[in-house]
Amino acid sequence: MDTLANVAHGFGVALLPINLLYCFIGVFIGTLVGVLPGIGPISAMSLLLPVTLSGTPESGIIMMAGIYYGSMYGGSTTSILVNIPGEAASVVTCIDGHQMAKQGRAGPALGISAFGSFIAGTFALVALMLVAPRLAGIAIAFGPAEYFSLMVLGLVVLTFLTQGSMPKALLMACIGVVLGLVGLDSITAQPRLTFGRMELIDGIGLVPVVMGLFGVAEVLLNTEQAIKRDIINAKITQLLPNKADWQASAGPVARGTLLGFLLGILPGGGAVVASFASYALEKRLSKTPERFGHGAIEGVAGPESANNAAAGGAFIPLMTLGIPPNVVMALLLGAFVIHGLQPGPLLITQNPGLFWGIVASMYIGNVMLLILNLPMIGMWVQLLKLPYNILFPLIILFTILGVYCSSNNVFDVYVMIAFGIIGYFMRKLGYEPAPLVLAFVLGPMMENNLRKSLILSQGDLWTFVQRPISATCLALAMVLLIAPLLPALRKKRELVALDEGA
Amino acid sequence: MSNQTNVKLRLANSELWGGLIGLALGGFVIWQGLKLKLGTINDPGSGYVLFYTGILMCVFATSIIVSAITEGGPTLASRWENVRWSKPLLLIACLTAFSFALEPLGFLLSSIPLMLVLLRVIDPVRWTLAIPIAVLVPAGMWWVLKSLLLIQLPSGLFGVG
Repeated sequence: MDTLANVAHGFGVALLPINLLYCFIGVFIGTLVGVLPGIGPISAMSLLLPVTLSGTPESGIIMMAGIYYGSMYGGSTTSILVNIPGEAASVVTCIDGHQMAKQGRAGPALGISAFGSFIAGTFALVALMLVAPRLAGIAIAFGPAEYFSLMVLGLVVLTFLTQGSMPKALLMACIGVVLGLVGLDSITAQPRLTFGRMELIDGIGLVPVVMGLFGVAEVLLNTEQAIKRDIINAKITQLLPNKADWQASAGPVARGTLLGFLLGILPGGGAVVASFASYALEKRLSKTPERFGHGAIEGVAGPESANNAAAGGAFIPLMTLGIPPNVVMALLLGAFVIHGLQPGPLLITQNPGLFWGIVASMYIGNVMLLILNLPMIGMWVQLLKLPYNILFPLIILFTILGVYCSSNNVFDVYVMIAFGIIGYFMRKLGYEPAPLVLAFVLGPMMENNLRKSLILSQGDLWTFVQRPISATCLALAMVLLIAPLLPALRKKRELVALDEGA
Repeated sequence: MSNQTNVKLRLANSELWGGLIGLALGGFVIWQGLKLKLGTINDPGSGYVLFYTGILMCVFATSIIVSAITEGGPTLASRWENVRWSKPLLLIACLTAFSFALEPLGFLLSSIPLMLVLLRVIDPVRWTLAIPIAVLVPAGMWWVLKSLLLIQLPSGLFGVG
């Protein structure tokens, strides 16, 4: 009964005209960046992070969340019609989705992708409503040792899943921690790594770092090659999948939803891993695996459901523990912090309007997305024809303005440009920025919890292994750190490695 | 990869350079940590986490260097093979010039030339389209921010904007 009352309260918040508007802007921009190759949800969310300052916390976070799950919907359109993934979680949709489009079945491919996403998104939200409050209840008992170990696990999982060599990803995570520690020490108030610059006393801002590493660097990388597009020009008809399509897709949608949700909750996981795992699962379960890669609808339905369910599941660790499981959630945490809010076990009880409002808005957003992505598909197809030589300079201008507006400080523009250039060279040398950004956000929290636990335990390091949750997290992290040394596991890691930056 | 693009103990090995930069950064972080004081394990100081993170950085960087020496790695030149490397280079030059010009010239006088150059550099947009976009978009954004959102963008020494 409590849950129902809370949901009703949440809808009361989400249905306020201003929140509906922000929700629509979020899902619209999400679909837009999902459709446009080269700009992912991370770039878009970092671009719009300063905009959240202008409204209430609910409005800002509703919009940011909308961008994330909206991009999951939009990404499939480009994968199916152009064979270029709009964002990383849609890479796998290209395989069978574009083949279906080439066979004149773009409509059912887009249809099943939208319906699968809707079903998965709805399931993830219901599960979020049921799981999050209970988990938050348990999380109250977490001490600094548990938090520290959980964050270590999250970082290790992300480095494990990042493309390229693991030492490189771990080095990036360490650099992220160091960058996160720039500024005044929260315990002793001693300035660290500020080099006498007043601008660094409060630390380096998340917005310029993320906009540089993902926005500017992405544009620099994209200008290296002329983007070729093989757009399906035939008119898209019959978006509703037929009975046979539904029969073939029911199992993959259900399995993708469950798998995606569970993988979304795990720290370091997320939509990309979920979509790859779902595709592999469907291919393995299929009686005719040879159809995969040649236009099997199961290869679209499963991964598309999985990535949307994962997008919903990823909110659980952020909302209940205050720990972002991936970079997108780290940005969302940034939005919370900008508004002086700290997500965690107490958020649901102290700020129920915010939590339930966000959850309810996600449901409304899913309905909006279904409308945006099916009847209005023609508009997105037209958008695919937008010339990149005009789009990229505009992105650069918007990142400059976005960074300046977030702090009214020219120094942040310099920081963004510097990180853009560093990010470009990092990517060229095979260093992924995702672990750096997550560690940048988690670094100060990790340090705080580590020092608190050491002070509380009077310097006893056993405190991290004597507490069961902390010990389990550290053991799992250790296994993942050792895993790449074993050839069989290394191969598996390479198969699921992801590129969060896309 | 051919011998030209995959080299072991050679200065051109990009993996080696990446590792060396990481090692240097790790060394710097350790030094900063020591400077800030480590404290004790009962009461860790401001440099405690920095120091140990620096050590971890050195360990990972060393592992990258060892693997670059034993397994080899692509040359720096091969990282830019078959791509239009001059485009990002020009873009970097534009952004660097912009960052130097932003404070003295102000937003409008620095962003209009930036936009014009970007529109002509990436994949040249024809002048008749590039000029209106380069002028109208920054001017429009400046007007929206100043008049509607009351955000003052840098106006520079000339007070334009």
